[in-house]
Amino acid sequence: MLAGCATVDRKPAVPLTGDIMIDGPNAIENGPERDRVLWQYRTAAAAMRRGEFELAKRYLDDALLTLGGIYGPNESARKARSLFRPESTKTFVGEPYERAMAYFYRGILYWMDGEPDNARACFRSALFEDAGTEEERYAADYALFEYLEGLTSVKLGEDGSDAFERAVKASRLSQLPPYDPKANVLFLIEFGIGPTKYATGQYGEQLRFRENPSAPRTAAVTVGDQKLTAGACDDLYFQATTRGGRVMDHVLGNKAVFKSTTSTLGDVGIISGAVLAGHRGRNSAADEVGVGLLAAGLISKLFSSATTPAADTRTWDNLPRYLTFAFLSLPPGEHAVTVEFMDAGGRLIPSLTKNITVNVPVGRDKIVFVSDRSTTPQTL
Amino acid sequence: MTSHKTLKSWTMINSRLPLTSVVLAALVAGCASSGVRNPSGVPVTEMRADERGFVAGTGIESQDIVRVTDKMAREILSIPQIANAQGTPRIVLDPIKNDTRFPINKDIFLTRIRAQLNSKAQGKVLFLARDRMGTLEREQQLKRSGQVTSSSDPNVVEFRGADFFLTGTLQGLPTRTGAGISDYVLYTFQLIDARTSDIIWEGFDEIKKQGLEDAAYR
Repeated sequence: MLAGCATVDRKPAVPLTGDIMIDGPNAIENGPERDRVLWQYRTAAAAMRRGEFELAKRYLDDALLTLGGIYGPNESARKARSLFRPESTKTFVGEPYERAMAYFYRGILYWMDGEPDNARACFRSALFEDAGTEEERYAADYALFEYLEGLTSVKLGEDGSDAFERAVKASRLSQLPPYDPKANVLFLIEFGIGPTKYATGQYGEQLRFRENPSAPRTAAVTVGDQKLTAGACDDLYFQATTRGGRVMDHVLGNKAVFKSTTSTLGDVGIISGAVLAGHRGRNSAADEVGVGLLAAGLISKLFSSATTPAADTRTWDNLPRYLTFAFLSLPPGEHAVTVEFMDAGGRLIPSLTKNITVNVPVGRDKIVFVSDRSTTPQTL
Repeated sequence: MTSHKTLKSWTMINSRLPLTSVVLAALVAGCASSGVRNPSGVPVTEMRADERGFVAGTGIESQDIVRVTDKMAREILSIPQIANAQGTPRIVLDPIKNDTRFPINKDIFLTRIRAQLNSKAQGKVLFLARDRMGTLEREQQLKRSGQVTSSSDPNVVEFRGADFFLTGTLQGLPTRTGAGISDYVLYTFQLIDARTSDIIWEGFDEIKKQGLEDAAYR
């Protein structure tokens, strides 16, 4: 019966090959519904790095529809709060830093398509996902998203100064340059390995984020004789770890207390029952009370073992750690661009160098997305 | 003695029954409530576009578009420059600006206002198909080159100029607190005189939505 209760999603997880472009579409199509958005996020990020922007758009649009519709009663979320289901029962939409990144990627794609106002809407939604932190100073504090919100406003002929001021205030890692309305090529660059989740606590009820070692710390964009170096604007590990506790952490904490208490009561019942039942001769009152305590203890232990306080550690595991940008003024036409990545000591990491042919259109901005995991060479 | 002991045993067992029953009931109830809701899915339900469906968020949805565009179309028809115009005013749509946090296909607003006016205004206004200029110019070239027939002189420019531009802006104010999220969207539309740049009409509507996600997502 308890095993039956634990079974939630009828669809089993799909076997993985290790190739995200095979595993992602397969998991989205055939895997558990609760993991659908997770795989859409992962596959979209991988598709962006391959220059398959239409595919990324399709997955992100679907994922953002799920993300935008989580308000009100939600069956899978209700189950995730119940004593006997793990948190991972719920439909995955990600922690705020993951949700913010989904909007950020979609914003880049809108801008690539010549829709800066929809791109701005996405950057705003990305910031909105980071609002409502325990500590106000960490709320909506992505410097890059604020900066891009202002830059899109400038590109739309509006005033971006408020957003620029907020970006400067939020910027902890680098100094942001003032907007250059004439710059027509914007490089949005990501590098490093994003945070991963793990669970700690007696029953794995506490969600934690692991900082992964990331060799690249800066990026350099070279076009002809122009070279721009860009340090990180935002750090996703910082973003993941500065939001404070979640409401769900309290729910999981209560589950853990319940599990611990029922286990202790079970132990007491079983031991006391066994002592009483075995102490006297058959059919004595103590014997019967002992059997009763034993039964109650066993049931309590059953409850305890069925209680699942484990935190949800599903992670969008191909996110970068750092986000940055660089903009240039280039004439329309084809340009050979090299993007290099450097470590903390400023040393070049040759294996990460990307060669990109950028086609700058007439009368429109060119948005170039580059990751240290992008395929190379690319023509964009 | 035997019967007394039996009775006593039964009493003991009986006293344990409520606990056992409660435990079993709790377990059974737990399992029963864990069934998947709508395991067979929900059949496709046809809804009116102005209805709020069971799939809803705090963003811009079909019922908002219908409500706002219906209101704007009614107001446009009642303004004196349209209602009492000597000739038939020609309108060109200028893309609206999305200044909210919701990425949307913003053309849908003006398309619906145009369709409403075209279907219900009985020729009181006409819209110019500026978004089809490429096709129209190609057709004109074919006529001029004699590759296709023409019912009038193809060398005379007959493409009309606009009397008015219809455009608009969507602006938003989002709020998130521990109590939930709130999204206010202000929809404003203007009819601009193409000759003088006067805004001859401005209409607006505003919609505020609030929601709170399940604690599992907070």
